[in-house]
Amino acid sequence: MSKQEKEYFHALHILEDNCTGCTSCVRVCPTEAIRVRDRKAKIDSLRCVDCGNCIEACAFHAIIPRSDTLDVIHNFKYKVAIISTSYFGQFTEDVSYEVAKQALYELGFDDVQEEAMVTQFQVEMIRDYIRANRDKRPILSSNCPTVVRLIQLKYPSLLSNLFQLEAPMSILTRYLRESIKQEKGLEENEIGIFLIVPCVAHVTAVHQPEGAYKHLQDGAFSIGMIYGKVREYIKHLKNNPPKIETFPKGLMWALSGVQADLVDCEDIRALSVNGVDNVMEILSRVEDHYLDQYDFIVLRSCTNGCVGGCLNVENPFVAMSRIKKMIKEGKDKKIDVHDLIELYHAGEFDVAPLSSRPVLELDKDIKKAIVKMKKLNEILTNLPGLNCCACGSPSCYALAEDIVQGKATIEDCIVLLRRHSREEEESKQEEINSAQDKV
Amino acid sequence: MRDFAAAKSEMGEYWYIRPGLEESVNGFFSAQPEADMALESQIPEKDFNQAGKGSAEVKNLLKRLGVNPGILRRVAVAAYEAEINVAAHSLGGTMMCRIYDEFIHIIFKDMGPGIADIEQAMTPGYSTADEMVRELGFGAGLGLPNIKKNSDALHIHSERGNPTLLEFLIYFMSDE
Repeated sequence: MSKQEKEYFHALHILEDNCTGCTSCVRVCPTEAIRVRDRKAKIDSLRCVDCGNCIEACAFHAIIPRSDTLDVIHNFKYKVAIISTSYFGQFTEDVSYEVAKQALYELGFDDVQEEAMVTQFQVEMIRDYIRANRDKRPILSSNCPTVVRLIQLKYPSLLSNLFQLEAPMSILTRYLRESIKQEKGLEENEIGIFLIVPCVAHVTAVHQPEGAYKHLQDGAFSIGMIYGKVREYIKHLKNNPPKIETFPKGLMWALSGVQADLVDCEDIRALSVNGVDNVMEILSRVEDHYLDQYDFIVLRSCTNGCVGGCLNVENPFVAMSRIKKMIKEGKDKKIDVHDLIELYHAGEFDVAPLSSRPVLELDKDIKKAIVKMKKLNEILTNLPGLNCCACGSPSCYALAEDIVQGKATIEDCIVLLRRHSREEEESKQEEINSAQDKV
Repeated sequence: MRDFAAAKSEMGEYWYIRPGLEESVNGFFSAQPEADMALESQIPEKDFNQAGKGSAEVKNLLKRLGVNPGILRRVAVAAYEAEINVAAHSLGGTMMCRIYDEFIHIIFKDMGPGIADIEQAMTPGYSTADEMVRELGFGAGLGLPNIKKNSDALHIHSERGNPTLLEFLIYFMSDE
């Protein structure tokens, strides 16, 4: 299958009935993937990187995140939930770590595991990888699916800089699948492993993982979706707090700054970047070789890292502060990573090198691309330059590009249309005036 | 054909051409054909917020043209270094970018005060950057050598007290 024919799944969709064609989403899309045509927003699936900006920008609930329905867990004999660390920042401070975790068992899972359990192991894996790949600088974190897709789309020369091993939730999935199979004597297809995630990108990644060699998860639920139910259970559990294992020191994974601090050591210099605009600026600087002094860069598309995911409930700063409190107050337990190390050395966590998604180029043939670019510039000089978005494209430049690519016409520009009709009116009026003068 | 060894030793004149490209490069400089596309931007003196915008613009343009990512990075580095050089060491200048279907030609012209010794300036680590420029994290003395490393042809014309011209060519054909 060629790259162009490949269909891309995205964990969001547009409810046409709700869409007013207001263009709020068009303006906030970092990859210019949305256009309003015929008064309805449309997403180019090739360009979408699942950042979730459009969901937050839509005031009409017309862009809806997609996640699996909780019923799907019943298709499996043994049901496992893996929770993203940002989950624990979503509750008021009277809800203990243990209670918040126990509430997930109540949802119907046989086993609840935390991303936090393997984060320290992940840090060691990252350090190992950085030291083994001294020729590549900087290594870029690959945990955020939006960042990975952004690089495929806009910074393909940096694909080889990506950290090429699975992320914590997928590592845990591989490990659990193997150990449950052995311990419970179950078949692979009897075990259902599900993620509870803070963002659209992670739902997309479960359904369409980039570079995965192995069977990973069977579905993903958003924190926002289960939140209502979980709170009900929490109410009951509060009076009777359970005694279950927790991993407070591992919670740092949800915070991009803390994660970089942990990887940082004597021979490794780490930088932390979050927020999609900052991420793009930094990637562009990496492209210029201007950040080669860093060994590792943690890149997260959302504000403050995964706590900023658009399917969370709590404000990212508040959630971050709560998680920091939990890390500070928690006691460090020794986690046996013996099995994980074995799987790591057996290549269980390897991922395939990723290919680029060249959507920016105007044409495959550079000669034709230059011709199109000249045409684009010509059109651009005729456009008003207001970037008003009224045509449904994100900017005058984007409209010019759409026209060159045959996806729009100059008549789509409402400002030009208005100017022309006014000029016509004026010239008509002049004709009438001169006719009257003659009389 | 230009005698490039002789030209190199001339006062205030520096030439570098990647071996194997002499004919094509000399052909280009003697014919000076009209470019398919041009881009121009100003580089104000010591304005490090502005410096870098021109090369970023070129990079975005080349992405639209589908230029190979490795080549793109070479253009980005060379253009950015040259832009920063003009901002840091001169009284300001312009960057002119000419695009052909096989290569890009970027020309930097400033308003002086010129490079006293080009050979010395080409030595890695050598820098005349002043305190202010160094404080901003520039002036490590890697500018010109880095431009040379990333370009297929480099020409500098400069004398103390006069404006400087720096131009380079980078071919789009993948050499990897």
